[in-house]
Amino acid sequence: MDEIERRAFMKGAAIGALAFSVGGAEVMLTPRQARAQGVVLRTLTADQAATLDAMGETLVPGATEAGITHFVDQQISIPPEQALLEARIMNVKPPFANFYRAALGAIDGASSARYGGRNFAQLAGNEQHEFVDLMRQNKLDGWKGPAAGFVYFLLRSDAVDVVYGTMDGYAHLGVPYQPHIAPTRSW
Amino acid sequence: MANDKVDVVIVGAGASGSVFAAVLAKAGKKAVLLEAGPDWQLDDLISSDIWGRRIKPAGPPFLLEGKNPYGYVYQAGWGTGGAALHYFANFPRLLPNDFKVKSTYGKGLDWPIDYADIAPYWDKVADDVGVSGDAKAEEIWRPPGKPYPMPPMRTFPGGDAWKKGFEALGMRLTPAAVGINSTTFKGRPACIYDGWCHVGCPIGALSNPLVTYLAEARQAAAEVRPYATVTRVLTSADGAKATGVEYYDANKQKQVQEASVVVLAAWSAQNPRIMLSSATDKHPDGLANSSGLVGKYLTAHFASGTSALFDEDLQPYMGTIAAQYFSYDLYDKDAHKGKGAFGSTFMVAGAAARYSALGGVANARLDLFGAELAAFMKRAARSYTRLNAFAEEMPAIDNRIELASDKDEFGMPLGKITHSFNDEAVALFNANFDKGVEIAKATGAKEVWPNKGPMPTIHLMGGTIMGKTAGDSVTDSFGQTHEIGNLWIAGPGIFPTSGAPNPTYTILALSLRGAEQLAKNWGSVAG
Repeated sequence: MDEIERRAFMKGAAIGALAFSVGGAEVMLTPRQARAQGVVLRTLTADQAATLDAMGETLVPGATEAGITHFVDQQISIPPEQALLEARIMNVKPPFANFYRAALGAIDGASSARYGGRNFAQLAGNEQHEFVDLMRQNKLDGWKGPAAGFVYFLLRSDAVDVVYGTMDGYAHLGVPYQPHIAPTRSW
Repeated sequence: MANDKVDVVIVGAGASGSVFAAVLAKAGKKAVLLEAGPDWQLDDLISSDIWGRRIKPAGPPFLLEGKNPYGYVYQAGWGTGGAALHYFANFPRLLPNDFKVKSTYGKGLDWPIDYADIAPYWDKVADDVGVSGDAKAEEIWRPPGKPYPMPPMRTFPGGDAWKKGFEALGMRLTPAAVGINSTTFKGRPACIYDGWCHVGCPIGALSNPLVTYLAEARQAAAEVRPYATVTRVLTSADGAKATGVEYYDANKQKQVQEASVVVLAAWSAQNPRIMLSSATDKHPDGLANSSGLVGKYLTAHFASGTSALFDEDLQPYMGTIAAQYFSYDLYDKDAHKGKGAFGSTFMVAGAAARYSALGGVANARLDLFGAELAAFMKRAARSYTRLNAFAEEMPAIDNRIELASDKDEFGMPLGKITHSFNDEAVALFNANFDKGVEIAKATGAKEVWPNKGPMPTIHLMGGTIMGKTAGDSVTDSFGQTHEIGNLWIAGPGIFPTSGAPNPTYTILALSLRGAEQLAKNWGSVAG
């Protein structure tokens, strides 16, 4: 068996997409596809989604379009033992939705306190950058929630996941993905 | 619900439990492995850092405290293969100076055995699972042993780049010994250097338990019961013998599995949790715990990583997650004595780069986000490489596992892991950054930086340490508890000190040694 054959021999097992609910049916989509199709969020509120979109994009350019909010929303809506989030391996206590609600609430609370009542999504780009730089260093006044540096770490990881942790992400960086068992294309 | 009594019930189907199962099943014993997670198959192992998180637990059954809380889940296993399903398969040995630390330096603990007692079992394990490397070259640091069954792995520019830096400082690198096939081995294929080892190798080139000892155990009729969560070891009315275990099955129904021998192989944290949860009037402080040492002397490794970018295309995506080269040149416990440090350091160079997730390139500059991160990722994609210096802390009795008042879904008390590094360990962590940067600068790299951040906790050892008597330890050197002859402990929990190298090779060797001892003395041990 040569290398190429061996690399591909289990491709039939590819199951990379996530199960999203569309019109009452379960559909396998990548988060990017779910966002593009406007799949209704299951757990996050509209305000929380706006915050996560804005935070994701500030952390890693491209994260919004890559579906960070649909990724997180789908992941915190399934049993924790099925979850693929970095939170899982960083000792966050399930259910993981509790962490994200607390984290996104802390972001908007601190943003509102610092910027005259405006949530993070309502800030200008330079303000968002300033806020995140303080957040990663645990230097935000009025922060109430999980440690700001830890929130930075986990949301940055989620954003990195959807932008760089995929086959498309590797292609964007110009490096081969080389899977033994591939997740579905683009994911 | 009671099941038919078996010869041996093994709690945990990871590296150590699989060895015990293979040896005992092949000796004709009816063996049952109770595994808290799924029964993974090779075709579950998707090549993705995102999907790879499935093979770890979903949240820890432990509260994590101390100055340096133990990073439980990243290190832990969940399902057949345990943590060895996602390990990096570096196969370094301990060295002779690891075994008498207390006697030599007045710090830490002594092992009740020496290097020579384990050496034949490292050689046996190499022949069992397949190790690639250059044993002769390693003799600059260790006593001679058998050659490895396979030659060293291929190297790539991301590993070779470090040779110049080591040479400039008069330090030595040898090909890393790894539990990965450089050639076909026992019907398993050679590695194709795709770098996805750490999320589970589905082709069997990497020696995870699914294709080694657990496969042998199943062939010898050992039974694996997945989603079986053990909550107690049961003991006889007089407390002298273990009689089996209580567990909850996949349907969350309580079951009892009686057995002549109980082997706890559920890792350094869960084994003490089960032993402490199994208290009776005859064992009021938990099983085999008259010394009060069950759960004590936990140790973790830490690593000081140094990153470098080169002008050349290093193909950093090629290779394995294990090292291409390693070095014991800083293994003397006093190598950094002048900096207030104590303990051995083990260096590895040239692991394949991944780009996301905890160990990925994006986390090599955690301070960057936004456009700066995007620019860094482009710059590093083909030019990045890393050197890691793993090091040891001395065992401290305050680094421990206890029962918490909170309970899990089965009514079992959660565990609480308290862990802090002492000043000498912190000094060693910092000294290894200095040395790493010095080496990296000597390579001629165009950009060099230490990956400084919170001090990581890597691997987990101790908690049920081996020793000579029930007064100073929980088990003997084979893993047999001093107080309950048919209750055995397998895995890194029996390490009195950790040394600096990755522990799995030694876990396998000690488990093989223990399992053969148990099989040989079955008649006098079994209850």
